[in-house]
Amino acid sequence: MINISFWSILWTVVNLLILVVAFRIFFFKPIANIIAKRQEEANEVYARATDKENEANDLAAQYEKKVAEAESEKKQIIAEARKSADGQYQKIVADAKDDAKSIHDAAVAEANHEKEQIIASAKKEIADIVVEATTKVVGSKTGADVDSRLFDEFLGKAGE
Amino acid sequence: MTLAEKLVEELNCEEVFTLHIGGLDIPVMESVVVTWIVMAVLILLAIFLTRGLKTQNISKRQAFAELIYEKLNAIVGATLGEEGKAYTGYLVTVLLYIGLSNIIGLFGFKSPTKDVNVTAALALMSIILVEAAGVYHLGVRKWLHKFVEPVPIVTPFNILDVFTRPLSLCMRLFGNVLGAFVIMELLKIVVPPVIPAVFSLYFDLFDGLLQAYVFVFLTSLYIKEAIE
Repeated sequence: MINISFWSILWTVVNLLILVVAFRIFFFKPIANIIAKRQEEANEVYARATDKENEANDLAAQYEKKVAEAESEKKQIIAEARKSADGQYQKIVADAKDDAKSIHDAAVAEANHEKEQIIASAKKEIADIVVEATTKVVGSKTGADVDSRLFDEFLGKAGE
Repeated sequence: MTLAEKLVEELNCEEVFTLHIGGLDIPVMESVVVTWIVMAVLILLAIFLTRGLKTQNISKRQAFAELIYEKLNAIVGATLGEEGKAYTGYLVTVLLYIGLSNIIGLFGFKSPTKDVNVTAALALMSIILVEAAGVYHLGVRKWLHKFVEPVPIVTPFNILDVFTRPLSLCMRLFGNVLGAFVIMELLKIVVPPVIPAVFSLYFDLFDGLLQAYVFVFLTSLYIKEAIE
């Protein structure tokens, strides 16, 4: 029970050393390795996620910039369109005014012309009527020169 | 066979066979053979648990292996601290070895730790490791200087410590296992049927594992003291 045996002690020391080495090889090393590997993988995944996030943020910023640009471009286009539409409107109105004026002028000119024509034809007709009437009234007892004098006289009175 | 004879027979460590190597007669005791069984069980278990390790979608077996690894390292590492990390492997192995040796009596084997030579060897290795760690971490000069700390007058006691520590480690483990064994044998004779089973939980299982922990805890404490 309590016999000290050198060999037993030596055996136990050797056994224990073998067990320690075996455990290092079969237990501690593999598990430590796998845990380290997992940690590495986790770090990798984390780094990748961070990269992706940065990328996404960059993209978002880019898109925002693009949207802002599009917005300002839109405003510019609308302003331009409004400006050109205004010009067109002014032109159309001016054209219409011009047209109206020329039509009006033409109409006035024609009316005046017609009036003159009518007056002229009326004068002639009246003169004819007067001549006829005078001829009828005066008959043949007066000469042509009398006719003419009488006519002039009449015209002068009628013209006043 | 009287009770005393039975006890003595149980306590004696028989020589199983003798190796003849070049004129040397090397006896192989029972405790050494049971140690081999313990080693075989532990190594096979380690190989089984660490088969096909993966980083993702781990099996329950791997989860269990990692749990044991983490917990044992934490238990031992708590006293060792960051500096003594290199010694966790040895201490965890010793913890498992003593733990299984102490409870292997439940399976009908004679506990190797019931042989004082085994506990003596364990204590010897502990004190060699402690002093070696001290020399390695501090250098010979500082290591020697530790013997006159905190005051030179305690130097004899510090030197004595080198011998009393392994002796106490050795005898504590041996005495506890032996005592538990004797008490269990007596209980089996005095109150045979059920009660020994209940006490067996304490004396065979709990005390066995506790002593393994105490041994490793004290060794790690000594190492920590030595490398500070």
